[in-house]
Amino acid sequence: MRLTTARRSRAIGAVAVAALAIGAGALATRQGAVAATSEGLLCEANAQQTFSLTAGKGFVSTPDGNTILTWSYGMSTRGFQLPGPTLCVESGKDVTVILHNDLPEATSIIFPGQTGVKADGNPAQPEFDTGGSLTSLVHPAAAAGGSVTYTFTAGKPGTYLYSSGTDVRKQQQMGLYGALVVRPAGHAGQVNDRADSAFNPSHEYVFLLSEVDPEVHLAVERGEPVDWAAYNARYFMINGRSMPDTLAPNHASWLPNQPYGALVHIRPYDAATNPLPAVIRYVNAGTVNYPFHPHGSDERVVNKDGRALQGTSGQDVGYLKYDIDVKPGQTVDALMDWRDVEHWDPVTNPVPTQLPVITDQLLVGPDTWFSESPYLGKKGELPSNITSLNECGEYYHVAHSHALQQATNYGAAFGGMMTVFRIDPPSGCPAN
Amino acid sequence: MSINQHLNPRAWPVRIVLGVVVVALLALGAHTVWSDRSDAARAVPQSTAMESALGIRFSRVAVVGDGGLVTLFYVVLDAEKANTFQSDLKHPPVLTSEARDGSTRRVSIMRPGHGLRPGSTAYLVYENTAGALRPNELVTISYGGMTLQHVPVL
Repeated sequence: MRLTTARRSRAIGAVAVAALAIGAGALATRQGAVAATSEGLLCEANAQQTFSLTAGKGFVSTPDGNTILTWSYGMSTRGFQLPGPTLCVESGKDVTVILHNDLPEATSIIFPGQTGVKADGNPAQPEFDTGGSLTSLVHPAAAAGGSVTYTFTAGKPGTYLYSSGTDVRKQQQMGLYGALVVRPAGHAGQVNDRADSAFNPSHEYVFLLSEVDPEVHLAVERGEPVDWAAYNARYFMINGRSMPDTLAPNHASWLPNQPYGALVHIRPYDAATNPLPAVIRYVNAGTVNYPFHPHGSDERVVNKDGRALQGTSGQDVGYLKYDIDVKPGQTVDALMDWRDVEHWDPVTNPVPTQLPVITDQLLVGPDTWFSESPYLGKKGELPSNITSLNECGEYYHVAHSHALQQATNYGAAFGGMMTVFRIDPPSGCPAN
Repeated sequence: MSINQHLNPRAWPVRIVLGVVVVALLALGAHTVWSDRSDAARAVPQSTAMESALGIRFSRVAVVGDGGLVTLFYVVLDAEKANTFQSDLKHPPVLTSEARDGSTRRVSIMRPGHGLRPGSTAYLVYENTAGALRPNELVTISYGGMTLQHVPVL
């Protein structure tokens, strides 16, 4: 075959581009493997606000070495994950969620807080069998291959839980839940329509709180009836992980079905260089209250169940809280910043007392998160038994459920519903 | 091949493209091998001496906390020995990078404080002092005069 000069040039160009793409792809993949995704909210979003989810089953791991069969929603293009993907939409715009069902029984999705939800074009409403018994809170997708399409107009800005409306107790326990984030139209950097709910989009977090009774999951795996009278949650999770897996980055290779981390990583408030707080969106997908307690700093609650905390005349009625009590099915959006209120400095403004041995400094034996210095960004002298201190004098504040049985892995402390908030010095951390 | 053919200017674009293709394919091949090595390296080596002495088997080292922390997981083989190891607060295992002059022995809080059951997994959380450990590299775990080399870091 003979090519003209022009065609040959185009062919050469095409081959060259393809070759470069292969090489670049190979290198990019390699680089991506080195620089793993860090932390923070991973949104599923698209201009059409249309999401295709598949309900399926997969296994998740716990830090004590257990492996548990779980059901959950995954993006149809990617497959199983726990929890379901975080769907991010804009208030006032239409949303479509197409549910495909790979489970051996019917399942569905309910969207508490959203109005005018339709299932396959009809108003979403409870369904009953011929005997009048409830079969599902909304029209489900049939077992093993069925599908259903839900549509609604995204409601008020805030955070919502979405979860199964079919055999709710079992299917939610099995893991059929996820978070829906509704952003205010034109103000994606605010929690709600109020300007004082603005946050730093680089520091946005969802804490989807849940619990697992492995006996329920084992019964489902074996096809046996569930003994609900013996229900006893043994694992407590943030975003489908328990401590210390909560500290691992998003998409950690050793947690292939649990893609979401739960590390909060911020710098101190500064009016000029870091004026906006982080936002933490708490969602309770469990059966009991989770009193979530961040050490070291209050958080300002600004939204609950997708509703701004404001009075009848629009006044702000948000409040500072040191223990965020999240009730079953509830969502709480809280702004969080870390402020150097007293401006302690080892030279110009030293702490005028002998530092007490407090929890954050010394909890178990000689172990500590600290840098041997109470001053952010400073490192103290090396104790005789160690070779070096932490990276840059950063703080690590523990944050956990204050119902301490929920801060365990199958009863072993510490673990469970726990993570850390990392605060770097104002100038940042050179290692990051 | 004549001199004229060798110097034919029309042949150069073809050779350049061929060169690019060769380089790209080499890069792809190297990446594949590298990935295979990386995957192979993810198998944690085992030491019967350490397992016999400590009653545990180290199972994972991972950099977490946005680079500032390290988790060390181990499987309990012998509960009594493992509890002794777990309770040795003053002498945690030292994790030494095999890629640079750096190590950590600084265990942070959240050491599991309960009895250990055979078959269960327990963990320690370290400060990653000065970024000593990095993903996709190897470390040596040292404890009580024993060492376990070439442990992959995730």
